[in-house]
Amino acid sequence: MAARTSAREAVKEMKRLKNEPLLLLAILAIILFVGFFVVYPVIRVIIFPGAEDYMKLFTKIRWFKAIKNSLFMTCISTITCTAVAFLFAYVIARLDVPCKGLFKFVTLLPIVSPPFIVALSYILLFGVQGIVTKQLLGLHVDIYGWFGLWIVQTVTFFPYAYSVIYGVIRSISTNLEYAAYNMGATRWQVFRDVFWPLCRPGVAGGALVAACNVLTDFGNPQMIGGDLALLPTEAYMQISGWYDMKTASVLAVALLIPAVILFMVQRFWVGRRSYVTITGKEISLNPFPVPKWVKWGLFALTMFISLFILLVYGTLFYGAFTKTWGYDWSLTLENLQYVFLKGKQIWNSIRYAFMASLGAAFLAMVLAYIVQKKQVGINKFLDFLGILPGAIPGMFLGIGFVMAFNTKPLELTGTSLIMILALLFWNIPTCYSSATAGLQQIGASVEDAALNLGANSFRSFKDVIIPLLKAPFMSSFVLSFLRSVTCLSVVIFLYAPETTVGTISVMVLVQSGQYGEAAAFTIVLITIAFTVLKLAQWVLGKQGIKLEL
Amino acid sequence: MKKLLSLMLALAMVLSLAACGGGKEEPAPGKESEKTEQPAEETKTGGKLVVYSALNEDNTIAIADQFKKDTGIEIEYISLGGGDAVARVQAEMGSPKADILVGGSVDLYGSLAEAGAFEAYDSPNNDTLDDRFNDPNHFWQGWYMGVLSIIVNEERFEKELAPKGVKMPETWDDLLDPAYKDVFVWANPTTAGGAYIATACQIFRLGEDGAWEYLKNLDKNVHHYYKGAGDVISPVATGEFIASIAWGHDSFKTQQEGYPLKLIIPKQTAYEIGGSAIVKGGPNTENAKVFIDWLLTKEAQELSVATSYRYPVRDDVAAPKGLPALSEVDLVNYDRAEASSMKETVLEKFEAEITSNR
Repeated sequence: MAARTSAREAVKEMKRLKNEPLLLLAILAIILFVGFFVVYPVIRVIIFPGAEDYMKLFTKIRWFKAIKNSLFMTCISTITCTAVAFLFAYVIARLDVPCKGLFKFVTLLPIVSPPFIVALSYILLFGVQGIVTKQLLGLHVDIYGWFGLWIVQTVTFFPYAYSVIYGVIRSISTNLEYAAYNMGATRWQVFRDVFWPLCRPGVAGGALVAACNVLTDFGNPQMIGGDLALLPTEAYMQISGWYDMKTASVLAVALLIPAVILFMVQRFWVGRRSYVTITGKEISLNPFPVPKWVKWGLFALTMFISLFILLVYGTLFYGAFTKTWGYDWSLTLENLQYVFLKGKQIWNSIRYAFMASLGAAFLAMVLAYIVQKKQVGINKFLDFLGILPGAIPGMFLGIGFVMAFNTKPLELTGTSLIMILALLFWNIPTCYSSATAGLQQIGASVEDAALNLGANSFRSFKDVIIPLLKAPFMSSFVLSFLRSVTCLSVVIFLYAPETTVGTISVMVLVQSGQYGEAAAFTIVLITIAFTVLKLAQWVLGKQGIKLEL
Repeated sequence: MKKLLSLMLALAMVLSLAACGGGKEEPAPGKESEKTEQPAEETKTGGKLVVYSALNEDNTIAIADQFKKDTGIEIEYISLGGGDAVARVQAEMGSPKADILVGGSVDLYGSLAEAGAFEAYDSPNNDTLDDRFNDPNHFWQGWYMGVLSIIVNEERFEKELAPKGVKMPETWDDLLDPAYKDVFVWANPTTAGGAYIATACQIFRLGEDGAWEYLKNLDKNVHHYYKGAGDVISPVATGEFIASIAWGHDSFKTQQEGYPLKLIIPKQTAYEIGGSAIVKGGPNTENAKVFIDWLLTKEAQELSVATSYRYPVRDDVAAPKGLPALSEVDLVNYDRAEASSMKETVLEKFEAEITSNR
């Protein structure tokens, strides 16, 4: 009965769309795009293996274990990622401490790391013979296994959660907290009952993005996981070790199950509560001061994590200028020679990343707006579409793209467009989470005012919502950009001789044991990515737009 | 925000224009300039050839340069791991973009041949080769051989194991020495095809029972099993661990980088046959045939030996420098058909009796 009423509601809502042709058009366009560029390629991968291939999932112990391990690693890493992200976001947004520039910088670094090469840096520092662990501290620790992987994944993926959480914390007005203090609440009560509940959509959104990234990560488990079998690595190894695409597809499809669970848990936790803090009558006071010991305690913790990240990337940087990675530490510039031969690749990297991120940030914002602010009957479905690409390991999105767009009517393989589109849709979940978290804070009253004054959906979106969403938009754009510049998994099956990108070279170099050159290439990629962002910041700054990195 | 959007859109448009105007990849750098002076005497067919290469990049470049010089055909290549290349050819089967797949064990060519991805071609140059290098159905052509080696970090070995009286390993059984406990790593045959060949090698060498006893004893020394066959090389090269088992040709490049990596070919070792195959329906199939013929010439074989650590398939080409001639390498009687038919059973047993007890 309840289902029928809600279905009737949905139909009624859909009928109302007739009055808003632009909104209807937008919805149709999004469904068409996501359906065509995400669902269709994924279906091609799903139907590639036969039923008997799927049966193997239940008969092989190793894969069953892999599912279990993947769920376990995703849970623990997501919790720590979110905690660290919250710490960074809180310190940067709310505390009056020095070194914020440094903190912001280290939240961007791990995003720009192509797979494998940073793992080498970790091993060099913290491995069995690690410079820090053995030679400096004299410890006999073993990084290989779930514990080492846990730490590495936390550091690698917390920035994704950070960007969402920070966007939310920054826009939570302090007025409510002052009100609570004035009524005699203790600090802890204010945190627990006022601040934390308002952070919830941000924390949940951030956790979901981090979880998707942890779940589909295959570079770190391969180098650092030791004997631990995880789904994405097992799937990839079926391709690279056994040339067995069918089994690989089965394992990749199996990844969708934990992803759907994650999605449901997250949506359940956020629930239908209201998180509105931007109501149209805004005055925000400076954050209420926290006690010194809390402030400096948090500062020290943040500093420690930042230094840890700097050490890892510093090693990578230093290694790029040494003769033989991890062995002969004498300095040289030779490793850079290779980079100059591949200027075209770097240019491609930047170009594709820029266009893909722009598209992703924009599409995600429109989608998030419709899901959050319009009752169109299929909100839950659209919501799921926004997060779906995150559940698919990049390489399978890539394989799906090849299968789907290799023949007429839409023959895209080998073009620049296919690279851009693949990166674009791969980035949607990241941008979508950010935009959603931001939107959940914007009260209906702001928009209602616009609508009452005669604006239509499009007008209110353009003139009211977009300006309010500038921060999440920019941060998701920056995130996607950095992520795309160093993305390997998605493009590995899509690039052609003319559309090769920089990460491919990094992979080729790692495969042939030229780690120093691989490190140099990575460093150049990172530097260029940051330079582009700085330039954008400067150009926009001149226009009076602040691009926060 | 409006300004921002329009600015970004403008930038995007500029970038996409640049994308359309993007020219071709510059010709491969290297020896090109010195070579253009002397035109090759063979009849030049010209045109181009799209190669998916699982070889090292500098190896691919060397081949592309020489091939262009000899035939006038321009090679456009992309570098991929062997498995990635197979996945890609398979995914592109509806409308192939590559003409030829080169490098990687012929084991990987099997599933693609079955799927109908290859054009059969029987090169006139393969008549003198040993039978094992020629596919009876002509879908692939074997053109080099790689052997399994024991790899050792010489520096750490001398410092830590030699004083204990351990000799440099020479045989598979030497690896069972308890001195290697936790300084030896290996790859898991369930995920790494190369490690499976090493596992099967033990079965062919010692018989079923002897092999499992060997593997269980070896397991006591194994610190952990990596996922990929090649993953073991960097940790041994940098001294994170002391010894492992890897393909000689994969380790060679790392050794050339200057690491103290020693390659030892043990008695009764196994080998892989490296292949090349023509993609059915590729844009330049005729040139692909020229390429296969060319790969089997004496000159091309010599080039391959010089730029990699791979054994040639021709008798009249010498083995890689510093390696014994192929006739002197003691190869195990490796039965490829048997190895592939027992795969499932062996892997399940490996999982049940070795990995799950870790």
